[in-house]
Formats: sequence, structure tokens, C-alpha cells
Amino acid sequence: MIDPNLIKKQRIILLLLIGAIFLTMIVSMGLGYSSVSYDRLIPIILGEGTFKEEFVLFSIRLPRIFITLLAGMALAVSGAILQGITRNDLADPGIIGINAGAGVGIAAFFLYFPIEAGSFVYVLPLVAFIGALLTAFLIYIFSYSKQSGLQPVKLVLIGIGFSMACSGAMVILISSAERQKVDFIAKWLAGNIWGTDWPFILAILPWIIILIPFTLYKANRLNLLGLSEPVAIGVGVSIERERLVLLLTAVALAAAAVSVTGGIAFIGLMAPHIAKSLVGPRNQLFMPIAILVGGWLLLLADTIGRNIVEPAGIAAGIMTALIGAPYFIYLLLRKS
Amino acid sequence: MVRLFTDQLHIGYGERLIVKDMTIEIPDQKITTIIGSNGCGKSTLLKAITRIISHQSGTIILDGQSISKEGTKTLAKKMAILPQTPESAAGLTVGELVSYGRFPYQKGFARLTKKDLEVIHWALEVTGIEEFKYRPVDALSGGQRQRVWIAMALAQETDMIFLDEPTTYLDMAHQLEVLELLEKLNEVQGRTIVMVLHDLNQAARFADYIIALKDGQIVKEGTSEEVIKRDVLKDVFQIDAEIGRDPRTNKPMCVTYNLLKGEDLHEKATSTISTAVHTYS
Repeated sequence: MIDPNLIKKQRIILLLLIGAIFLTMIVSMGLGYSSVSYDRLIPIILGEGTFKEEFVLFSIRLPRIFITLLAGMALAVSGAILQGITRNDLADPGIIGINAGAGVGIAAFFLYFPIEAGSFVYVLPLVAFIGALLTAFLIYIFSYSKQSGLQPVKLVLIGIGFSMACSGAMVILISSAERQKVDFIAKWLAGNIWGTDWPFILAILPWIIILIPFTLYKANRLNLLGLSEPVAIGVGVSIERERLVLLLTAVALAAAAVSVTGGIAFIGLMAPHIAKSLVGPRNQLFMPIAILVGGWLLLLADTIGRNIVEPAGIAAGIMTALIGAPYFIYLLLRKS
Repeated sequence: MVRLFTDQLHIGYGERLIVKDMTIEIPDQKITTIIGSNGCGKSTLLKAITRIISHQSGTIILDGQSISKEGTKTLAKKMAILPQTPESAAGLTVGELVSYGRFPYQKGFARLTKKDLEVIHWALEVTGIEEFKYRPVDALSGGQRQRVWIAMALAQETDMIFLDEPTTYLDMAHQLEVLELLEKLNEVQGRTIVMVLHDLNQAARFADYIIALKDGQIVKEGTSEEVIKRDVLKDVFQIDAEIGRDPRTNKPMCVTYNLLKGEDLHEKATSTISTAVHTYS
């Protein structure tokens, strides 16, 4: 009952995206402050590179590439889930306070702990994760009513309110911090991929390995939650439970991503949207495309941002915002 | 004993009771129609019976079990519901939407099984939309779209189908098309159909059993002969109706009517035209 041409189209798009990701990865490996020439890539990977070459590739470039790829994928799935359960194509992990909540967590953490201590770096994702989770939890409590359950529209409105409040709280926290700390927090907020080391990949990987297949497993429920409530109940979806479980999944995925990359918006908005415009809103079809688009977009944004201005580059979060904001306006214009 | 009945059912939003002390039995394998003026609680009753909304007190029993205690997926294998004018299925194709009706039977990653495909194929065929299966639902006409939603409900393979004003927004030919399809499903396959209708003559023509509501309570229930009567309509709709017989089906029909309100005859006559449409819409 599914158009075979549509399935064929999906397969072709998936192949093209995988190709694009590989190409971007290779380009990204070579580009940067200390360049690695492309004809040396294979020897280095085979272990025949110099110490400097190996250090640049294995300790700097590759972790960063994988982190951006994985974080982009997680954000895309998170956005797709949120768009499904809120029935709103403009939903994004940012709206349920993920970025802001994680930001407050980071800012508060910095007020009380010294920045130098090496091991604290690895606590940061955890702090961001807890901040994000806590905010999402509060938003959920406030948008839940005993009579009508979780109301998607209310969730969006309260989420926006919380984001604003968190941003305000962050300004207050930052204003009382030392200059050096402010620098780091500001960079974090801009979505400057900072967790570029293998342990961070290990921190984000389990979430992705578990939650992305789980989301695909829930695809048929997401389909129905995207229709009207009576229709979903009528075919036997327990909407309260599914909404809660999926909301938690979205929060966990986005929080895991944002905690190592810093505040990155728009990927969760754009990736599902681009995928839906290609193959329609059936989750089984568009979700895999959205995942690859999300990973690719963030990788591309970071590769460009990292090389566009010497030496520090532009934060990936700012790059995605540069692409995302016009896209968002385009969506709004097309809707009305 | 019928499969589905309610006992002293109270339904309301907050303090306000919409349906009061409702005890009804839904005849098996028959077409039942609920009629009544706007706000009388007919849609509310339909939604409560199909657990779209919860009720405040009383019970709804299906197959000897209270529906509040039954799993929602189990219920979805017994009753399908077509809500009032479901919003657009943005971007979905006809086949995709109809396949969603298979949800209660799906397990794991929900790949469509051979059985699923057979049922979906049958649902598309019986509703006459097979040829559109790869087209976007949004690109179809109102009548075709309504048939897609009916096909989705059919794909659920339930003995009972509930419909809330299935003919709204359709032109006369398409209204009849939908109702005849439902009649066929009832006659050929013995499915129980329960629907809310606004058009009295359609209710009289297609229903085996009519329940007339007013202010959340039953005024009269029975066959069309028993319900489509002058005194009942006077009570339910506040109209003075002339009841005749449909020359083709021999069912009772409301030939013409006036509003009852207003003592002054002249005032009544002039207000009829302007408000009749309003009241009757």
C-alpha cells in the first residue's frame, strides 16, 4: 500500500546522503589549522603517519567529526519526535528548554567549581544533561493538566516561556562570574563544539545506539500521534503514555547532544522538515533520511565554521543558526 | 442481551453535565442513528462510548466488560471511530493513511504483513478508492477524502463502527454515497453502525434504530416510525413538522417544518426563514 516509487526514492536519497557524509568527512579530515594532505590520509589511517599527523587526525579531527555527526543525528531525531507529538512543524528541541536548561546548568556549575581542574571537563556533559532534563521535567509538570493530560500546544508555549526565563537566569549567573569563565560559557552557548575527545563520543554513543532504534520502533505510534487525538485513540494508541515516553526520548537525545556540543538550535527543526518534504510525513520513511540529514548538516556547518575565520573559526551553533534562521522564516512564510 | 450498552451514564466537562443519566442499548448488527439539536450531547455521547473522552459516572459495557477497564488496543479491535471531520492528513498518501488503521494488530517494528495488506486492499476496494492509493489525501475531493477515512476505520476490522456526522460538508450525491456504503457494510457484513446525523430524512431512511436526544437526555428511541413523529420532533427540535412518507422507500419523512417559538404568528413566519438555517445547521 506504500507507493513503491516512494520507497525507491527514499533508498536513493539515503545512498546520496551517505555519499555526501563520507565526502564531507574526508574533506573535513584534511582541512584545519594544521592541514593534513589528502594523499596522506590512507597511510595515516593505516598507522604509517608521523606523530604530528596521527595526533591531528586521531585526536583532533576525527573525534570532532564523529561528535558533530552523532550530535546532529540525535538532534534530528529529537526534533522529529517533538514535531510529531506537538503536531507542529516548527517544533525544535530548543522549545522544550533543552538548550536553555543545559546552559543554566553549565553556568551554575561554573560559579561553584574551578575551571582548571582537568577531570571536571568530563562532568560538564553530565551537568548539562541534568540541567536539560530538569527543565524539561518542569515544563512537563506545568503543561500537564489532570483533566486533559499533556496538551501539545501548552507544552510549546510553556517551553518558550521557560527558555526565556532560563536565558534570563543565565545572564544573572554569568554577570557574577569571572571573565575567564564567562568566556567559556559564552562559547558553550554559541554551540562551539567543545567536547572533542573520544570519551565524549563514548558518553553520547549509548544514547544514540539505544534511543534511535527505539524511536524507529515507535514510528507507527508517532504517525498516529501526528493525526488528531480522536483518530489516535480510536485505533488504540494510549496517547498519554506514548507522549510521555516519546517526550522523554526526545529530551534525552537532545540533552545528550547539546551537553557535548553546546547550544545548537535549528538542526532539530530543519532535518525532519527537509526529510518530510522529500518523502512525506510517514515516520518509517522520513526518519532515516532526517537522521542522515541532521548528521550531515551539523558536520557541514562545523567544517565550514571551523575554517572560515582563522584561527578560532565560527561556532557550529552560529553556523547552523545562519543557515537555520532564513530556513525558519521561509517555513513561516510558506505556511501563511 | 446486546453487546454494547450504557448504564446511568453521566458525562460532562468540569461542573457542567452534558449527558445525564443515560441508559441505552445499542442494537447489534443494526444501524443506529443519534439525532438532536446542536449542543444536545449527541457527539459527546458518541465520544464517551468510544472512550475518546472519559465519563464522570455510570458504566459503558462492551461484551460484559466495562470499557474503562479494557485496554485501548483491545477496544480498537472491536470498535472503530470516525471523528467529526478529521483534519487534513498533511502529506500522507491514501494507502499510507488507510494502513494506519492496522495499528491495533501491529507488533514490533510494524512492518505490514500479508494479512495487513489484504485487509487494506479490501478496505480500499470496498470504498472505491483503490485507484487513488498512491495519491496524497489532500489532493482528493471532500467525498473521496471521507471515503479514505472510512477505509481507515474499515482496515481496523471491527464489528462496530461509530461515525460523527459522516456527511457534513459533502454534497447531496456524496452524502448518499457514504450512507449507502455504510448500509452495504451493515447488510452484507453485519457490522453494527452507530452515527450522529443532522438530516432527519437521512436518519429515517437509513437507520434501523433512532435515539432522539434533548438536553443530554433521551426523548424517544425506537424505529423511524416511532421517532420521526410530529410530537417527538416538536419536543426535540422545537419545530412544527409535517410528516409524510418517502414515495420511494416508504419511510417517514419530514416534508416541511416551521419553528414553534414565538406566540405572534407573523413574527414566527418571518423569523422562520432567517433562523431555520441556523437552527438546522
